[in-house]
Amino acid sequence: MDRRRIRVLLVEDEEIHRVVARAVLRGAGADVDEAENGAEAVRLVRERIGGGGGGAYDLILTDRQMPVMDGHEATRRIRAMGVATPIVAVSSDCLPSDVHAFTAAGADDFTPKPLTKEKLGHILAKFQLA
Amino acid sequence: MDYSNLRRQAASMKRGLFDQGYLDEQFRQVEDLQDEASPNFVEEVVVLFFKDSAKLMSNLEQALEKYPRDFNRWDAYMQQLKGSCSSIGASRMKIECLSFRDNCGQGNVEGCMGSLQKLKREHALLRQKLESYFQLLRQAGPAGAATRPVM
Repeated sequence: MDRRRIRVLLVEDEEIHRVVARAVLRGAGADVDEAENGAEAVRLVRERIGGGGGGAYDLILTDRQMPVMDGHEATRRIRAMGVATPIVAVSSDCLPSDVHAFTAAGADDFTPKPLTKEKLGHILAKFQLA
Repeated sequence: MDYSNLRRQAASMKRGLFDQGYLDEQFRQVEDLQDEASPNFVEEVVVLFFKDSAKLMSNLEQALEKYPRDFNRWDAYMQQLKGSCSSIGASRMKIECLSFRDNCGQGNVEGCMGSLQKLKREHALLRQKLESYFQLLRQAGPAGAATRPVM
């Protein structure tokens, strides 16, 4: 029986990070939607759970610093919608205060950029998506 | 044409880039993402990196002039550039990014200027070396370009 492909939302404003992360995710068999800022991410999540988009994402990976709406605020708003999807911050900001700020916003985990196969493997195993 | 010799030369060139610290393990991670569906993935990412990093350095230079002693702003630009360097494993460039950020932290304008000049030199060097490397890979033929080069 074929395993359902996991549905991932990648939230990242910088193209080079999107290109690499997209390749890592697709290599792991994921279907990937992309948002270039937090506001777009919130819109996509809302669309998904609204019945028009095929159900909630299995995983959300988000950067912190983005135009329009940053990753912290996007995480807060997604959680405020009652969405329980694992949210993992993938960010260059790696100080304990940065990690704490993300978890305070509702993120489940944090990994420093860039996303690699190994890091994704840990994330998928942690949230039983492998 | 001796394609296997060209591939050996490319492998040797790449080994040199790692041995001299220009590239780190992340470059191998990017290579690992190349496959038959994306046979030129590595070169595409590298081209994107140089386009991205040139723009970031230009933005930073403008900020140095337009916003004197605005270390927070300068640091924010450099953080972005450092992140970009990390994405392809541009190790020596990353070191200069860190040096610049240290100088920002110390409020050292001269130090920042010096770090930026070194960063620009490393950027130019890496670009030249990677361009030569990919040119050699292309000469080595489709097998050399589409598969992960042998180290």
